[in-house]
Amino acid sequence: MKLLRRARYAFTSAWQNFWRNLGVSVAAVVSIALILVLAGISLLLGHALGQVLDTYQQRVSVLTISVADDTPLSAVYDFEYQLRQRPDVVSVRFISKDEELKNFSSDPRNQQLIQQMEGNPLPAKIEVRAAHLDDVKRIDAVARQWRGADRNDPTDYQGDFITNMLRLSTWLTVAGLTLLAILTVISVVIVMNTIRTAVYHRRQEIELMKLVGATEWFVRGPFVVEGVMTGVIAASLAVGLLLAAYRPFVERFQSELFFLPLSYDPRFVPVLAQDLLVAGAVLGAVGGYVSVRRFVRL
Amino acid sequence: MIAPKCNERPVISFQQVWKTYPNGTDALRNICLTVPDGDFLFLVGASGAGKSSLVRLLIREEKPTHGRLLVHGQDLGGLRRRHLPHFRRQVGLVFQDFKLLPRMTVHENVAFALETLGESRRVIELEVDAALDIVGLAGMARNYPTELSGGEQQRVAIARALVHRPSLVIADEPTGNLDPETAWEITQILSRINAEGVTVLMATHNREIVDAMRRRVVALERGEIIRDHRYGTYDEAPAASALRVY
Repeated sequence: MKLLRRARYAFTSAWQNFWRNLGVSVAAVVSIALILVLAGISLLLGHALGQVLDTYQQRVSVLTISVADDTPLSAVYDFEYQLRQRPDVVSVRFISKDEELKNFSSDPRNQQLIQQMEGNPLPAKIEVRAAHLDDVKRIDAVARQWRGADRNDPTDYQGDFITNMLRLSTWLTVAGLTLLAILTVISVVIVMNTIRTAVYHRRQEIELMKLVGATEWFVRGPFVVEGVMTGVIAASLAVGLLLAAYRPFVERFQSELFFLPLSYDPRFVPVLAQDLLVAGAVLGAVGGYVSVRRFVRL
Repeated sequence: MIAPKCNERPVISFQQVWKTYPNGTDALRNICLTVPDGDFLFLVGASGAGKSSLVRLLIREEKPTHGRLLVHGQDLGGLRRRHLPHFRRQVGLVFQDFKLLPRMTVHENVAFALETLGESRRVIELEVDAALDIVGLAGMARNYPTELSGGEQQRVAIARALVHRPSLVIADEPTGNLDPETAWEITQILSRINAEGVTVLMATHNREIVDAMRRRVVALERGEIIRDHRYGTYDEAPAASALRVY
């Protein structure tokens, strides 16, 4: 019961303090909301870019091995079995010469070529899906050593493309994390300054609380709650702004900003809202906790 | 000089306590003092004699540099920070500047001490009413501190110090900002509280009150106890002039 009463006190006190210093509180909410809007934009861009990269990665993480025409079917099955046993292989599919010709013929762009072709010059293929992009290189090396592979064109491995894609992915992750870290630090500093102002206004009250036997957490609680309150209100504002602008912005600028991977994904909206609200709450809590720490030490 | 009664459980026990500040000033030197349960003690001395330092040690705002200080049997020098709130709940504090929160009513100021401890609304109402009754302010519960006289504000501060029923009240110059008549009233309230069994330590430089009360007097000078009389006066020789009876 005491815990409940203390929690109620922390919430009531934080709420009163938020309204009592309304000017400072609103300034903090707006500043943090703007930072969270920036964070949200970077998340949306990151998500769109991630989708593009995923599509490419899925495409290039499939290695196609061309099978030499004179390879016995038993050797193909043996190799297929060997590949299936590897932990870095997700799936293996054999495509016979006939099936490959059928696939080739079904593409309208190949109709002229089909008419000029004699017999079936297309090789049988083994399609291997790698678990990760960086596994493709190892699987390619194994495929090239296999005797049944076509000597002239054993695989469709695009080494440079994969290396560049891995490098790009790493750089984008690092850049995204750096940007988020900078935005986090700025938000914490803003929350800290807001709460410090509140602490300064209530220093006499804090002093008294300590003298009459309040615990550190009893004194600190309202300020941490106030930080969370500020962060969540700011995050709600940021989410509202982003949701209102997301679809119209993408539709308006998709063609003009062709160099940016703009796309509207309604499934990402709840994820974005949740991330920003949690971020706002955590930033607020950390800011509140740090700013009041020095004042409440008994 | 007197020796404390050996059969009385001391509430406060200074055992060769020194307090030296970082600049090398000895604020307290070799303090040996025992305050038994239920005692009423005046701590007197000129400004800079060490009264405030002694009070700060007693409420554990500072730690002794050397020696042991026991309050309710707890060694304050070794008291862990997490045990400090519990210790402070056993002590009532009254200050010269009242330390009332101006945006709270009289009732809220007194209730504040119990809210801090997480007491229920019902307990808070009962205890606040009782404490305001003791100091004679039951009818002013809804007033704000700015609407009260200095003496009334100090009575609110005393009610706040008493509301959690401490066994020890430490009053640091509680009459310092008051006129003689009001100062006398405040001292009488503290005396009544003492008669109920609460130990009272009052730091003061109010000569008239100390001489009129004839209670235990501990005099400090340059950080040392120079006198400890059971029924003492402000000065070594009792003041010749008689105090006006209020």
